[in-house]
Amino acid sequence: MTANLEYTPFELMAVAGARELKDGEIVAVGLGLPVVATFLAKRTHAPNITILFELGVIDPEPVHTGIGLSDPRIWYRAKIMSNFVDMLGTVLHKGLVDVGFLGGLETDAYGNLNTTLLGDPKGKFRHFTGSGGGNDIASCARRTVIIIRHEARKLNEAVSFVTSPGYLRGGGDREAAGLQGEPSRVITDKAVFGFDPVSKRMRLESIHPGIALEDVLSNMAFQPIVPDDLPVTEPPTAEQVRLIREEIDPEGMYAE
Amino acid sequence: MAKTTTLAEAVASIPSGTHVALSGFATARCAMAFAHEVIRQGIKGLTVSQCVGAMDADILVGAGAVERIVYGGGSRGRFGQHHCVNRGIEQGTLIAEEYSSLSIAFRYLAGSLGLPFIPIRTLRGSDILKRLQEVAPSDIGYVCDPFTGDDWLVLKPLLPDVAVVQVQTADEDGNAWILGARWVNEEQVKASKRAIVITERLVPTEVIRSDPERTVIPGFRVSHVVHLPFAAHPTAVYRVYDYDADHIRQYADDSKTPEGFQKYLDKYVYGAKDHWDYLELIGGMKHLTGLMADPVLGY
Repeated sequence: MTANLEYTPFELMAVAGARELKDGEIVAVGLGLPVVATFLAKRTHAPNITILFELGVIDPEPVHTGIGLSDPRIWYRAKIMSNFVDMLGTVLHKGLVDVGFLGGLETDAYGNLNTTLLGDPKGKFRHFTGSGGGNDIASCARRTVIIIRHEARKLNEAVSFVTSPGYLRGGGDREAAGLQGEPSRVITDKAVFGFDPVSKRMRLESIHPGIALEDVLSNMAFQPIVPDDLPVTEPPTAEQVRLIREEIDPEGMYAE
Repeated sequence: MAKTTTLAEAVASIPSGTHVALSGFATARCAMAFAHEVIRQGIKGLTVSQCVGAMDADILVGAGAVERIVYGGGSRGRFGQHHCVNRGIEQGTLIAEEYSSLSIAFRYLAGSLGLPFIPIRTLRGSDILKRLQEVAPSDIGYVCDPFTGDDWLVLKPLLPDVAVVQVQTADEDGNAWILGARWVNEEQVKASKRAIVITERLVPTEVIRSDPERTVIPGFRVSHVVHLPFAAHPTAVYRVYDYDADHIRQYADDSKTPEGFQKYLDKYVYGAKDHWDYLELIGGMKHLTGLMADPVLGY
């Protein structure tokens, strides 16, 4: 199976992301892999998903890939074009978004995300994107799915800046802060993680086909909870791979 | 009452130190011609606000026109980071009050409604909030909900002196249509003391009256109307023209260093006496025709 991969790690992650979505759900999507995951879900098991872009776009059907949310290419054939207060206010803030996809510079053992800076926030640091709608999605979506590359520098015990809150320092911390929803999954190119129901610490849920447990753990800067029974992530089907390559991302732009 | 004027006159109405809300979002409907003219006129000490960082803010920050930015973070997507804003934050030369998109939108919304503050569910537990409590403590508060007894984080309204909005269509009174996604432009205008509308097309009021459902900016809030085509170049104006990918890439490269950015300014801002000159500099009609939006696609 591993010797002749019929799919790329990106495609496996997109399929794992799609699997997180149920039919009829409202999904807040950023660019890149989440777009592929969401359109894949919509074309397969979840045709009645509502797709929402924060700046005011609902259910577009783009025919060209865009460079960011502000690119009219990804607004094409939308059912609604409105504004922030409408999308992030009356839908997200009101608690109607089921799933939000987020990525970032780094995440940690409790699913906190940093998209703001690397280095010492009080001293020398490099500033990056900041929040955009990320903090809002992480604060309000019923389930937040984090998509991140599996590298030790991106999977830390604690992030250097909490842009978008996960479980903060674990346990009842998130609830105490008055936040809605919760992080539900972290999908990397090596594994899928969930969170322990009590401690809220990140827990391995499945390892991608052909990846060894040591490979997963040695590329993380913290020790996740490792259950005794560890399944292999279900690989993409031929049809899912075909949909991604031929219909959803034919130019391979989202896959970078 | 006709409010149509030149860009130079509209910009001259902005004193140094003004709080300007900018209409751009990343690489869409950025007030670029406006920003260039602000830089040419040497206006300084601005406070700039917007929900997602955009190229109009970045070039103003790079040129030293901005003292303080109040924004929700942001980048140019695949066209990279806002290097001038990031450099200003890293070096401490720019006062940055960094929120999330929704919290900025709510602050404008509160301003537009004349509310004293607005409760919000986001920001809590984050380092964004911790940092804001250090840099902008007078804009953050807590109240007890009198109906439930729950504690709420509340934000102060944002009340810019002027909103500068890049639109597709307006009449000479400033009644304006924004086509496509509008992010937070209406709330920006309605929270501000006044607005400057920069429009790609100037139409008779009869056209506005023929389709009033589209009017999102009422003329009575507008002080100046500037009719200027391609005024958002190199960013996109939905249904009018696409972004200029090559030019944005060049800006992205040049703005990586202060020296490169200065070179860009010298060539495209100081090197052009006005917007018309700028349009010639980037390739004139031949180049601009290639950017015109496909009527079906909108880009």
